[in-house]
Amino acid sequence: MNISRRMMMAAIGAGLMMGAMATAAAAQTVEDIKAAGKVKIGMLVDFPPFGIINANNEPDGYDADVAKLIGKEWGVEVQIVPVTGPNRIPYLQSNQVDLLVASLGITEERAKSVDFSQPYAGISIGVFGATDAAVSKPEDLSGKAIGVARASTQDTAVTKVAPADAKIQRFDDDASAVQALLSGQVELIGVSNVVAAQIDKAAPGRFAQKLELSQQVQGIAVRKGSTELLTAVNAFIDKVKADGELNKIHEKWLGAPLPDFVATAEK
Amino acid sequence: MYEFNFAPVIAGLDQLLIGAWLTIQLSCAAMLLGLIVSVFCAWGKTSGITPLRWVIDAYIEIIRNTPFLVQIFFIFFGLPSLGLRLTPNSAALLALVVNFGAYGTEIIRAGIESIHKGQVEAGTALGLSRLQIFRYIIMKPALRTVYPALTSQFIYLMLTSSVVSAISADDLAAAGNNLQSATFASFEVYIVVTLIYLVMSVGFSTIFAMIEKAAFKYPLSR
Repeated sequence: MNISRRMMMAAIGAGLMMGAMATAAAAQTVEDIKAAGKVKIGMLVDFPPFGIINANNEPDGYDADVAKLIGKEWGVEVQIVPVTGPNRIPYLQSNQVDLLVASLGITEERAKSVDFSQPYAGISIGVFGATDAAVSKPEDLSGKAIGVARASTQDTAVTKVAPADAKIQRFDDDASAVQALLSGQVELIGVSNVVAAQIDKAAPGRFAQKLELSQQVQGIAVRKGSTELLTAVNAFIDKVKADGELNKIHEKWLGAPLPDFVATAEK
Repeated sequence: MYEFNFAPVIAGLDQLLIGAWLTIQLSCAAMLLGLIVSVFCAWGKTSGITPLRWVIDAYIEIIRNTPFLVQIFFIFFGLPSLGLRLTPNSAALLALVVNFGAYGTEIIRAGIESIHKGQVEAGTALGLSRLQIFRYIIMKPALRTVYPALTSQFIYLMLTSSVVSAISADDLAAAGNNLQSATFASFEVYIVVTLIYLVMSVGFSTIFAMIEKAAFKYPLSR
């Protein structure tokens, strides 16, 4: 009983895998999408401000605006498919979406499974502090109190560059670290540009980026081998970077112009 | 079956011990300072002038009816708006003193009220000064009566101090969280952290039992 069930599961599994491989091989073109009159775009809805669900219960955010712009550019209807971090690449590979505008960070590992466009967005991690604070290089952190969220990427990055006598104060989350900065308990904090945009909303003009520690660019993903579609996506990104549309979206959601490392990135 | 891997915990044991040392320092300092606050407030409540009693009552009610986490956030994140900026460790100490003071006051007040009025009158009849009466006739037997309650409040204070990691103080709980998030060996790290807290609690209980024997033999053996 046990063995036969296991064999049956194996057979079903093998069948599914073959099916997946067969569909994964199907390259796609813009003509296919235009013929269908609809582009299915996968995006995260739990990654503010890139992907959120707005008050009308619709997907919204940076990624949603980019997705709508693609539809407008190609003259097709956009169907946004909510995906999650772990299942976004399987959604693309199994043909359930045509493109991923899902804040997918461009990494070598992922580039084995999907083809990436040039960067359309980016997250950078940096040290932020009072606009007039005299910090311009890691050595300047000496003797200063720097708040970070415990064990976050920014914790690792700050710990790596800060001199031994910098006081790194680890809080439970970004919110507490930001609170510590706003109440003056720390002079500097290590956060992403996304959080920094929120700080600027809470205290306009008081804080600015002092050091940049790392950058992660995000690309639009297409199925492996969809060269023609990828070219079209890249052309789209070139166009919206040049005409300022992408910059407008960045200003809207992140409160700052499109960073240079995204704007001038080459694929 | 889960495979235990204590190697990262052993590698980080020095961090945990440094954290445990800060927990001990914080708790002991908070107990001593808190005890002073408690004795003063208990005196104020039982024999002080009426406005002073109102202030002390308000203090006790506020502290005993709000969460410790909120108190510590108020001191660390709130007070800078009034110009009082404390380092995480001193904010943690202040919060613990204020918290222990409120609970300690009620415990010591109960002890003071257990002293029969006739004893105070006897002291007056013997010509003792007010301070002498308070010290020898009221405080010493009162402390002896409530000593067990005070020590368990101290143990509770030491365990509560784990909350101070929320304002980035470097106590044992913070050291445990740091180590856990660096190694992902959460089960092993927290077993060891739990054991350290347990050893500290049992250790302090033993010390308190010894102090009790030494300090409160009076009056039976004298």
